[in-house]
Amino acid sequence: MNEAFFFYLFSGLTLLAALYVVFTKNPTYAVLSLVAAMFSLAILFVLLHAYFIAVVHVLVYAGAILVLFLFVVMLLGVGREEPASKSQRLYRIFGGFVVVGFLLEIGLIIKAVSSSAQESPTILAGTIEAVGKLLFTEYFLPFEITSVLLLVGIVGAVVLSRREQMPAEGQYLPGKAAEGGRSKQV
Amino acid sequence: MNLAGFCSLLPEALVIALMFVVFAADLFLPSIKKRLGGLTAWGLTAILACLLWQGFLAGGQKFGETFQGTFLCDPMALFFKALFILTGIIVVILAREFLKKADKNPGEFYLLILSALLGMLFLASANDFILLFVSVELVTVSFYVMTAYLKTDQRSVEAGIKYLILGALSSGMMLYGISFIYGHTGSTHFDAVRGALFGMTSAPPLLLLGILLLIAGLGFKAGAVPFQLWIPDVYEGAPIPVTAFLSVGSKMAGFAALLRICVSVIAPFDKKWALLMAVIAAMTLVYGNLGAIPQKNIKRFFGYSGIGHAGYLLTAIAAGGFSGARGVLFYLLSYAVTMLAAFLVVVYCSVHLESDDMSAYDGLSRRSPLLAGALFLSLLSLAGVPPLSGFFAKFLVLSSAVEKGLIWLAVLGALNVVISLYYYLTLVKRMYIHPPAGGVIAVPLSFQIPLYLLMLGIVGIGVVQGPFVRLAASAVSGFF
Repeated sequence: MNEAFFFYLFSGLTLLAALYVVFTKNPTYAVLSLVAAMFSLAILFVLLHAYFIAVVHVLVYAGAILVLFLFVVMLLGVGREEPASKSQRLYRIFGGFVVVGFLLEIGLIIKAVSSSAQESPTILAGTIEAVGKLLFTEYFLPFEITSVLLLVGIVGAVVLSRREQMPAEGQYLPGKAAEGGRSKQV
Repeated sequence: MNLAGFCSLLPEALVIALMFVVFAADLFLPSIKKRLGGLTAWGLTAILACLLWQGFLAGGQKFGETFQGTFLCDPMALFFKALFILTGIIVVILAREFLKKADKNPGEFYLLILSALLGMLFLASANDFILLFVSVELVTVSFYVMTAYLKTDQRSVEAGIKYLILGALSSGMMLYGISFIYGHTGSTHFDAVRGALFGMTSAPPLLLLGILLLIAGLGFKAGAVPFQLWIPDVYEGAPIPVTAFLSVGSKMAGFAALLRICVSVIAPFDKKWALLMAVIAAMTLVYGNLGAIPQKNIKRFFGYSGIGHAGYLLTAIAAGGFSGARGVLFYLLSYAVTMLAAFLVVVYCSVHLESDDMSAYDGLSRRSPLLAGALFLSLLSLAGVPPLSGFFAKFLVLSSAVEKGLIWLAVLGALNVVISLYYYLTLVKRMYIHPPAGGVIAVPLSFQIPLYLLMLGIVGIGVVQGPFVRLAASAVSGFF
């Protein structure tokens, strides 16, 4: 059992999950599969000793962003299939260009990395300890101000999503109060 | 952290304390709830007094650095902080008048004003890109909420969304730029970045791109062309005290950050930026002043004229050096005092006449001589008529441009004075020559006192410029 085994295992899993995201017809499965891809990516970060990024990756992507995706998918309803329209074909051509560009870029990166054989870094800059130390020494003040920023965010969300007192009872228009609130949450 | 370090943080700490007092009073003390505006205004006045005492103790010296140099309390920061707190006090007075009419729960509104003010205070002292970014975000997030505060008003919500989208875009650009600068210099600290820049013989293109993106992000806050598109719409839709705060506070914050970065970070690349800044300044001047001419709405009118003033400030930044930086500070002092006086009148009229249209100002001189007189005085000062403060501010800015050989820019600036005089005087004509549109407007004492003080400021800074110019000079002399 060594790192290489886990590396190949989890990069294979990431690839499989990512391919499933692209090819499945069901959006719910696509999002769930994306969660699996994110988890295996996080494990790849662990294998690189970037523990902090691994944890943040799980918390932010799997925990927050993908749950939001799932909510949106559920709210919009699943199971409907749209026929390919003209604009979608345009997207495909555009997508083809993106794929070619991306492959070229990967080729360039591999060429650059293999030409200069680099040692893996010995000083671990990405550990939780190192990040915490920086956060509580050099960046202590911005860190503390972030808490005020979060407070403002909470107050703002409450202010903007709170239901206004409508003039007459029973005449409440659901779109009107929700409009300001939902669109403003960052 | 030693005692001096703590003292340099005192105004910020007090503003945070005031925030919590307002928050708690709003929640738990219904008897104070009615008087929250007065409480906030007096609290800020006490903080201003404390800040001036701090400045007096510092006596033009660097007062202190704390948090490993991320927070810098130098004379320039103190100068800006005094202007920000002054703006905060006036905006609270305006908000109080506005909220009385709007019948809204005021607690959160004062809290948001204070949090935006807190962001500005930290911005003035930021000596590190991370702190700079966090404080800019604190300012803008508070403004997003304040802009959309009138949820049932379509225009307010629309303005809020516009501001949110464009503001997020500009924050993104700024952060992207900072990441390039960090990548090339290995630090986010201003002093370290400047040291790294001095060591470079030629600038790598990605570093220049980073600085460009940073300037673009701050240019959005300052309202410089081509990042000004949000200004008229957002100013028009926002509640009017927020318009006042945006056009004075947020603009000053943008310039505080821009000036700090120009004098203390990218100073080694001075020559490269001068031309770019000069072109931006010229475009901003022309756009703002020509755009103001056809305006019929008073908020849009001040929005465009504010863009014009940003043009003068950018002229001084383009000129750079000691005289340019001094020009920026003096101009901002004059701009803040004048614009706040103008907004005291405009907000009072807007709340009581229930119209933002310029036709509402017809015959104001007979309805309320005080309001009309104050607006007249501030419009003249904004246009740059001697002996008011605006004249001397423009003189300092244009002479700094001439000194650095930007003659064409100075000539353009002088031409724009003529244009601005035209559209300011059309408003004056409305107030003094057109027949009045209604009865007498009574002005309460809580408006009269700040109005008289600011009018005194407009005339006083213009007539006795010496001490104020020396103050501005001593605030920037440390950098040159």
